[in-house]
Amino acid sequence: MISRIARKELVEMLRDGRFRVLAAAVLVASLASFAAGWRQYTDLAAQHATAQEATRAQWLAQPRKNPHAAAHYGVYAFKPKSALAMVDTGIDPYVGVATWLEAHKQNEFKYRPAQDRTALQRFGDMTGAEVLQVILPLFIVLMAFSAFAGEREQGTLRQLLSLGVRPTHLALGKAAGVGAALALVLVPATALGVAAFTLSSQGSLMADDPSRGVALGLVHLVYYAATIAFALAVSARARSSRLALVVLLSLWFANSLVAPRVAADLAAWLHPTPSAVEFQKALEQELGDEAAMQERLARRSAELLRRYKVDSVDALPIAWSGISLQEGEEHGNEVFDKHFGRLFDQYARQNDVVQRGGVVAPMLALRAASMGLAGTDFAHHRDFVAAAEAYRRNMQRVLNGDITANQRKGQVYLAGRELWEKVPPLDYEAPSLGWALQAVRPSLLIMLAWCVAAAAWLVRATRRLAAD
Amino acid sequence: MFARILRHEWRALRADSTLWVIALVFAAGIGFGVWNGVRWMAFQRDAIAAARGEEAERYARLQTQIDGLVRGAAKTSPFADPRSPGNLGGRLGPRYAVLPPGPLAATAIGQSDLLPAYFRVSTDARENIVSGTEIENPHRLLAGRFDLAFVLIYIYPLLILAVTYNMLSAEKEEGTLALALSQPVSLAALVTGKVTLRAAVLGGLVIACACLAVAVSGTDLARGGAGTRLLLWACAVAAYGAFWFSLAVFVASRGRGSATNATLLACLWLLFVVLLPSSLNMTITTMFPVPSRVELVQATRVASDEANEAGSALLARYYEDHPDLAGGDVAQAVSDANVVRLAVADEVERRVRPVVRRYEDQLARQQDSVTWLRFLSPAMLMQDALNDLAGAGTARHRHFLAQVDAFHDRWRRHFTPLIVRKAQITDLSALPLFAYDEEPLSAVAGRVALTLAGLAFPAALLGAAGLRRLRRFPVVG
Repeated sequence: MISRIARKELVEMLRDGRFRVLAAAVLVASLASFAAGWRQYTDLAAQHATAQEATRAQWLAQPRKNPHAAAHYGVYAFKPKSALAMVDTGIDPYVGVATWLEAHKQNEFKYRPAQDRTALQRFGDMTGAEVLQVILPLFIVLMAFSAFAGEREQGTLRQLLSLGVRPTHLALGKAAGVGAALALVLVPATALGVAAFTLSSQGSLMADDPSRGVALGLVHLVYYAATIAFALAVSARARSSRLALVVLLSLWFANSLVAPRVAADLAAWLHPTPSAVEFQKALEQELGDEAAMQERLARRSAELLRRYKVDSVDALPIAWSGISLQEGEEHGNEVFDKHFGRLFDQYARQNDVVQRGGVVAPMLALRAASMGLAGTDFAHHRDFVAAAEAYRRNMQRVLNGDITANQRKGQVYLAGRELWEKVPPLDYEAPSLGWALQAVRPSLLIMLAWCVAAAAWLVRATRRLAAD
Repeated sequence: MFARILRHEWRALRADSTLWVIALVFAAGIGFGVWNGVRWMAFQRDAIAAARGEEAERYARLQTQIDGLVRGAAKTSPFADPRSPGNLGGRLGPRYAVLPPGPLAATAIGQSDLLPAYFRVSTDARENIVSGTEIENPHRLLAGRFDLAFVLIYIYPLLILAVTYNMLSAEKEEGTLALALSQPVSLAALVTGKVTLRAAVLGGLVIACACLAVAVSGTDLARGGAGTRLLLWACAVAAYGAFWFSLAVFVASRGRGSATNATLLACLWLLFVVLLPSSLNMTITTMFPVPSRVELVQATRVASDEANEAGSALLARYYEDHPDLAGGDVAQAVSDANVVRLAVADEVERRVRPVVRRYEDQLARQQDSVTWLRFLSPAMLMQDALNDLAGAGTARHRHFLAQVDAFHDRWRRHFTPLIVRKAQITDLSALPLFAYDEEPLSAVAGRVALTLAGLAFPAALLGAAGLRRLRRFPVVG
């Protein structure tokens, strides 16, 4: 019975001119967006990889110089692109692409791509994610709003109910019908996406990209299931198909376009962040804390004098200049960890509020999950920032350690390529799928809850279906 | 007769409770948008005050330190000596170049959350100075803001369509249209009356709320052309509304049923406000890709390396010419290093300039392509107009950046001779100060007028075409 109902729904939809136009439009949109995403990804990934190699080559090609001069020369870290960014670019346009890893400073990531674009960027990008998350649910709404209400107005619902069809079968059949219509559009689009994915010449940074892609697809399917169930339930309960359409469109608008903004504003109100001036001022104040620095140096010198049993730092067998440089770095690192940690924690709290807002507007949960799985959310960015910073600290440790071991008082100490090579190249491995799933667990749970609740409502609504 | 139509329409609208619900929700949305705008303006003002305060505090401290050093009462290492022009112009005494929020900043946040409103200008390379950013959660930048501009661009048209989609077709379906037209009134006059009333109610609501917003945000209406901007803002709202009203009239004139009208208008809204802007954005990004910042970073680094190599040779040659200075005291070495750094910085800028210029040309070309394509969608035009009037658009920021560049130039030209002459600075009040020169109102008004024309022209066309089609409107059947 279910398959019979589903087949009837599908045939009816295919005969409807509306469906053909809409399906064609959606297919074209997804084609265009995947193609654009693929092109952008391959370009950017290639650029970043080349730049990363070039900066390493520059590091190794440094002439003989004092290691501290090399520390000031530093290296650049370029944020690698995730392959799934083809589908969901996430926050990539709004975070910097490169940072300078140098001595004494944790620099911010500079050059946000969005800053180079016009205000048009703020309307959003027609990415694959936009098509999948905003356009396809609208497509579902347009296909499903008249499923029950339209039949009621035509008079065929009375006949259908008189056949004694089980309400659950009816619900499942209609849902399967709409789902089949959706699949007709979704399957070619997905095939295209997968093809683009496998064709991308640059090896992506994530080892488990295919599994992330599968998870991403599953998450969207859960959302579509919830949307289909919800739309059918509204259609069953509405007095007329026009009312059903108005209600569904308003909810789609509120969910897709209004909720993200309202949630972001509320989250920022609950967990505000400082301005750049205030942040910089607080940072510089603690960094320039002479007293703390002197205390630190005094402690270290006392410990070393004790260990080597000498009277002054000049008599140490190792270079005090290297030690004091490293102590300066450690002091700075503590301050940076405190301030940047506080700032990033505040961002994380804001994002948490938005994720949990998915209880009211499921789009928020979907977006969080989608970006998390594609590797383009803040948690992944923070991971790379931490990795780059850890690399910088290791670089300083190696260089300062070399000064400590080799610098002799009154002599000019120069090091060369043997030392530069002791600093390994920046080899970043993105977090695993498990890590990503853990980070977006609230969103996944919220979406599953929505799916179950919508399905339950649909079943209840079909049970109480009135013929007119 | 027209007044009678208006009175009748007002009574009919008033009786419709759903309309009041919609108006209430709309007013709540406007209120929330205004609240966000006012809070953002306060944040900007606080940040600017903090910047200015930090600078004043730092300068007071430096002046005290200088006075102490001059008197001989204090000592400092050459790297931290504030009297040295190299140290002062570079690390110790940079000044803020600040872009104050525009008078109508509470109405649109625009690009002002993305483009920084203050820069710390020093003798450092230009690229390092203007690449600073404001602190904001990237997720929030991605989501966008719920400000008054958002309500106007997205929600205002929906409201217009909600009250106009069936203004004619409902009367026809109920049968009252034939009765009304048996009076000595033309269909065009009837429709014009209906539209006028709805426009007055909705537009009046919006403009009243906006005036409240401006008042609450504490803007002085007499200064800075705020009054003119507010007037232009009201015109923008009117023009945008006119577009959607004329679209509704044109669709109504086709004589179809309410449901069909609703669907068509909803699709048109979707096309103009959601699909077209983001598709155009994707098209432009793909067809006019901005050359990579990453490549620019690398090119700058390579140029800097080459110039530094030349610089080492410069320093070596300098010491060859002045053997007495080589191995001399640290203070001398520091001021020498400052001279060489200056020469190297000049050399770096010379080498990097063609790369940067090529980058900025490509960028300008991409941004110019948007200038023409935005006439395709009223939403894009409206966004432009609202951002411009609020002072949160890209044009004003470019104007600001040009002034920052000029100030940076002035700063360097002040310090360069002092560094070369190895002079000492004792009076901080003589250092260059940044004063932002607001864009002439005529420039803003010109841009906005063009945008409004882009809205009003299609509105007039659609309205005229619609009113003409009404002549053949099937009043019955």
